[in-house]
Amino acid sequence: MPTRILIVEDSPLVADAFRVLFTAAGYEVDAATTVADGIERAMSAPVDMMLLDLSLPDGNGLEILKVLRKRGFLPRSTLAMTGHNDSASRRSCLEAGCADVLLKPVPIAELLRQIERHLA
Amino acid sequence: MSMSDRVGSAPKKRLKTLEAKAEEAQRTIDELRARDALKTQFLSNVSHDLRTPLAAIITHAEILRDGMLGDLNPKQRDSVSGIVSGGQQLIDMIDEILTYVRSASDQVTLTRTDFDITELVDQVRMLNQALAAKKHLTIERLNGDDLPPVYADRDKVKHVLGNLIGNAIKFTSDGGHVWIGFSRRGRDRDELVVEVGDNGRGIARDHYELVFREFAQVDASPSRPHHGTGLGLAIARNLVELHSGTIWVESELGKGSRFFFTLPLNPPRD
Repeated sequence: MPTRILIVEDSPLVADAFRVLFTAAGYEVDAATTVADGIERAMSAPVDMMLLDLSLPDGNGLEILKVLRKRGFLPRSTLAMTGHNDSASRRSCLEAGCADVLLKPVPIAELLRQIERHLA
Repeated sequence: MSMSDRVGSAPKKRLKTLEAKAEEAQRTIDELRARDALKTQFLSNVSHDLRTPLAAIITHAEILRDGMLGDLNPKQRDSVSGIVSGGQQLIDMIDEILTYVRSASDQVTLTRTDFDITELVDQVRMLNQALAAKKHLTIERLNGDDLPPVYADRDKVKHVLGNLIGNAIKFTSDGGHVWIGFSRRGRDRDELVVEVGDNGRGIARDHYELVFREFAQVDASPSRPHHGTGLGLAIARNLVELHSGTIWVESELGKGSRFFFTLPLNPPRD
C-alpha cells in the first residue's frame, strides 16, 4: 500500500504546492482545509503522515489530534507546521503529540527528509 | 456684583479654557493611539497574508529547481534558483516586520528562564559562521565562562544577539573582526552588560540615536550598499526594553562600533 500523507492547510495555494511535491515524491496525497474536514479525512482511511497547519478557519489544528486520539484514529506520525516557531507554541505542539514542529516555509529537501525520518 | 466675584471670574474663565484644551488634547491622544493600534494590526495582518502565497511560490520553485518534475538545463535551474532565493529574502523581510510589530505592541509576553548566556552566544556565533566566513571575518567570544545564569526570555535575547551580530558582520569589511564580551555592573553586580563589537565602518555620533529608530538606515538612498528593513536595531531595542534593560552604541567612524545591552543577573525571586 502506498504511504498516505494528509495535508491539513487552510491555504489552497500552499496545499496545492505540497500536493505537487508529495505526488512527485511517490506518496498518496489527501488534503483538508478545516479542523472538521481534517478529522473526517483522517478517519476515512489510515494516515501515515499528517502535516498540520495550526491556524485553521474553524479552530486550532491541534484539536484534530485531540479528537483523533480519543477516537483511536491517530496518524502514524504528525508534523506541525507554523509561521512562527517560538518555544511556547513549539511546546504545545509536542505536548499534543506532534513528532516535530517545522517553520514554514520548510525547504522541500528538509521536509522530505523529516517525513522519511519519522516514518522509518 | 461684589468685588471678590469680579476678581475671581477671570481666573475661573481661564481655568475653564485650560480644562477644555486639556480635554481636547486627551481626545486627540486617544484617537492617535487608536489609529496607531489599527495600523499595527493592519501591518501584522498584511505581513501574515503576504507570507502564505510566498511560501507556495517558493515551494513550487524548489520542486522545479530540484528536478522533481523533470530535468532542467543549467540556465533554467539558475533562473528557478533565483526565484527561490528572492522569495526567501522576502520571507525574511516579512518576518522581520512581524517581529517588529509584535515587539512594539503590548501583546508580547516574556517567558523568563535561567540560562547560560555564553552557550547562547556560542550558538548564535555558529549560526552566523557561514556568513562571516564568506567575508573572512572572525567572530570571537572574549570572556564569560564564570558568569552566573541570566534570567530572561531566551528566544528574545537570541533575537537581539542575532540582530547585533548580523549587523556587525554586514557593516564590517572583509577580513575584519567581530567580538562579544561581558562585564557586570550595579551595586550587587547584578546587571550584565553584553557587548557586540566590530572594527567596521562605524557610526557618526550624530547618528547614535537614529540607528535605533524604526525604518532608519544611516544611508537611506536607493543606491545604498546595505539593504534591509531597517528594523533590526529597533527590534533589539524593544526586546531589551521589555526586559527593563537598556541598549546603546559607542562608535567611531572608520574604526568600528560597540553595541551594549543590559540583562538582569540573579534577580530577586517572588
